[in-house]
Amino acid sequence: MKAKWWSAALTAAMVMGLMTGTAVTANAEEEVTLKVFSNLPDRKNGQGLVEQMIIDEYMAENPNVTIEVEALDEEAYKTKFKAYAMEGMPDVVNIWGQPSFLNEVLDAGVLAELNEADYADYKFIEGSLEGFKKDGKLYGLPRNTDVAVFYYNQKMFEDNGWSVPTTYDELLELGKTITEAGMVPVAMDGGDGWPMAVYLSDVLFKISGTDYQGIVADAVANGDFTNEACKQATQLLKDAADAGLFQVGYDSQDYGTAMNLFTNGQAAMFYMGSWEASMALNEDIPEEIRTNIRVFTMPVVEGGAASATDIAAWNGGGYGVSANSAVKEEAIKFLNYMYQPDKLSKYGWENGVGMSAQDQTDYMTGEETDLMKQIVDIVTNATNVSGTPVNDCGPSAFKTSIESEIQSVSNGTTDVDTFLANIGAACK
Amino acid sequence: MKKMYSNKLVITSLVLPGLLLFVFAILAPICLSVYYSLTDYSGMGAWNMIGLENYKTLAHDEAFFTALRNSLFLAIGFICIQHPLAIIVAAVLDKKGGRGESFFRCVYFIPNVISVAVIAYLWKFIYNPNFGLLNNILKLFGFEGNINWFSPDRAIWSVLIVLIWHGFGWGMLIYYSGIKNIDPTLYEAAAIDGANQRQTFLRVTLPLMKPVIQVNVTMAVISALKQMETVYLLTNGGPGNATQFTATYLYQQAFKAFKYGYGNAISVVFIIICLLATVFLNKIFEEREPKRRVQ
Repeated sequence: MKAKWWSAALTAAMVMGLMTGTAVTANAEEEVTLKVFSNLPDRKNGQGLVEQMIIDEYMAENPNVTIEVEALDEEAYKTKFKAYAMEGMPDVVNIWGQPSFLNEVLDAGVLAELNEADYADYKFIEGSLEGFKKDGKLYGLPRNTDVAVFYYNQKMFEDNGWSVPTTYDELLELGKTITEAGMVPVAMDGGDGWPMAVYLSDVLFKISGTDYQGIVADAVANGDFTNEACKQATQLLKDAADAGLFQVGYDSQDYGTAMNLFTNGQAAMFYMGSWEASMALNEDIPEEIRTNIRVFTMPVVEGGAASATDIAAWNGGGYGVSANSAVKEEAIKFLNYMYQPDKLSKYGWENGVGMSAQDQTDYMTGEETDLMKQIVDIVTNATNVSGTPVNDCGPSAFKTSIESEIQSVSNGTTDVDTFLANIGAACK
Repeated sequence: MKKMYSNKLVITSLVLPGLLLFVFAILAPICLSVYYSLTDYSGMGAWNMIGLENYKTLAHDEAFFTALRNSLFLAIGFICIQHPLAIIVAAVLDKKGGRGESFFRCVYFIPNVISVAVIAYLWKFIYNPNFGLLNNILKLFGFEGNINWFSPDRAIWSVLIVLIWHGFGWGMLIYYSGIKNIDPTLYEAAAIDGANQRQTFLRVTLPLMKPVIQVNVTMAVISALKQMETVYLLTNGGPGNATQFTATYLYQQAFKAFKYGYGNAISVVFIIICLLATVFLNKIFEEREPKRRVQ
């Protein structure tokens, strides 16, 4: 009897133990913390706001998931990304589908492979996934379609009788006219180096047309940029700086300073990517300015191969998942959630952050800002697109070199030939 | 007590924490740095041993020598501008006395308690050619046109002014403490002998400040050589390499260009230069000490 009693008690204890164990395990499985590492520190405007909206929605729909965001601006982000690559990457990270960033990252094996077939219905624009692939395998998803544009203040142009330039020479002439009127023609973030490298790419594309990608690929592969198209493009950039197209001290001023010059009405134009289209909805910018922001693309270069509708555009930033994430499954689930067509793409569109890498036509309401409509028209009517800007086509050492050297060549510290020789050497 | 101090276990327990700290916080990182400097490590993934290749590249790297030249220029700027001014201000404050003494002591020290990021952005706005304070003040005096304070030929001077201004408080405070430690009877003796203020400063204050000057100058040279954060936030080494310093260049190569091995080669050379600078400065100050004693 006693033995039976003991046996029943032990069985009950075992069952209870198992039940408790199951409950603990289930609970442990349910509670998930995802770490998102982002290059969008402004969580209240633009792309950062969109990212945060989706994160909040995901947590609301999945109460067991907590998402912790660490957001740094681009330069600090890239530095810390490397530190994370050595000591353990957060679960979901921002990445760039460009050789200058992705090659080393993929060689180090820190990103998880994604199943391309999963994204068949995600309406990605043809070719936009290519930058995120290596040996046919997919390691990330693109977020934007970026277009290099000149933002301009339409009212200021009309009030002063200025018209949008159609050729590069007209652009330089317009710059002189604006300077004579006591204003800054183009606000340029020359301190960071990369916007000027994008400008150089834009001009090079206007000169070489559809040969652009081949010229850049050959130059990077051989470490030789001394071809005629690169020389001419660099000279045209230098001509623009010499003609006073950019503000005084452009080569030491950062993104925020350049943008402020434009948004507070001191500069007539601002050269930047289409991701800044959200300026039209940013209430921190005076209404008279934000409602009058319009865009035009780089004007044609006389004798150049590209037409007015050939534009400098590329798929740059995006997201990937850490290969060593302890919650990889949940991280990929969250990544896929972000890219559902009615999330990143739709919210991005509604918040005016420019063109997504996914088809957005379903979300056009007709209520978009004039600026957004203009950018859509530019992309829709594009006859050719450039692809990745020059500075992102080579290894990191090349990117670092060109973004520093371009300041020196534009301000006249070094000559065009030295610049081309130096950036070529950085590829070797 | 004496017995306790002759106990080897006690000696070991007292020496060990410091020794471990030195080994793990200083010696081991330096050894690792030397090791990585012999590799082509990008900072991620695998690496190969490439011998002295990084050092050979460094020997022909123009940007590195520009950075080194700028660092030495800053060290000279500290020694020739910041420290003479700091000694004079410290002496004047000491003579001034009263409420003004503590007030100005605080005022001069304020830049040191402000975050480097704030300092950098503050000066960025002061120097801005389009809407900066400096150009607007100059306009009040009739200057026309926007002066670019960060043009390639002016940038290094603009950075130098910020760094001198920022570090001034520390230098001044150390000199001030040194002056306060001088025996007042020496000043009284000098006054009885008929020495004027200039003579008192040159013949009494300055010679007795020598140990303080030695420490301060050594610290200034080392801080010039390892200058990083203010320059990084102010100009990021630009335009081009106009304000590139050894530490900013090291950071750029190791963490931006993904050349971690090369960055470590720069750091090894950098350590050697810092050591040589310290030995050199100690030598300068040591040589004159015995001569005075002989006299």
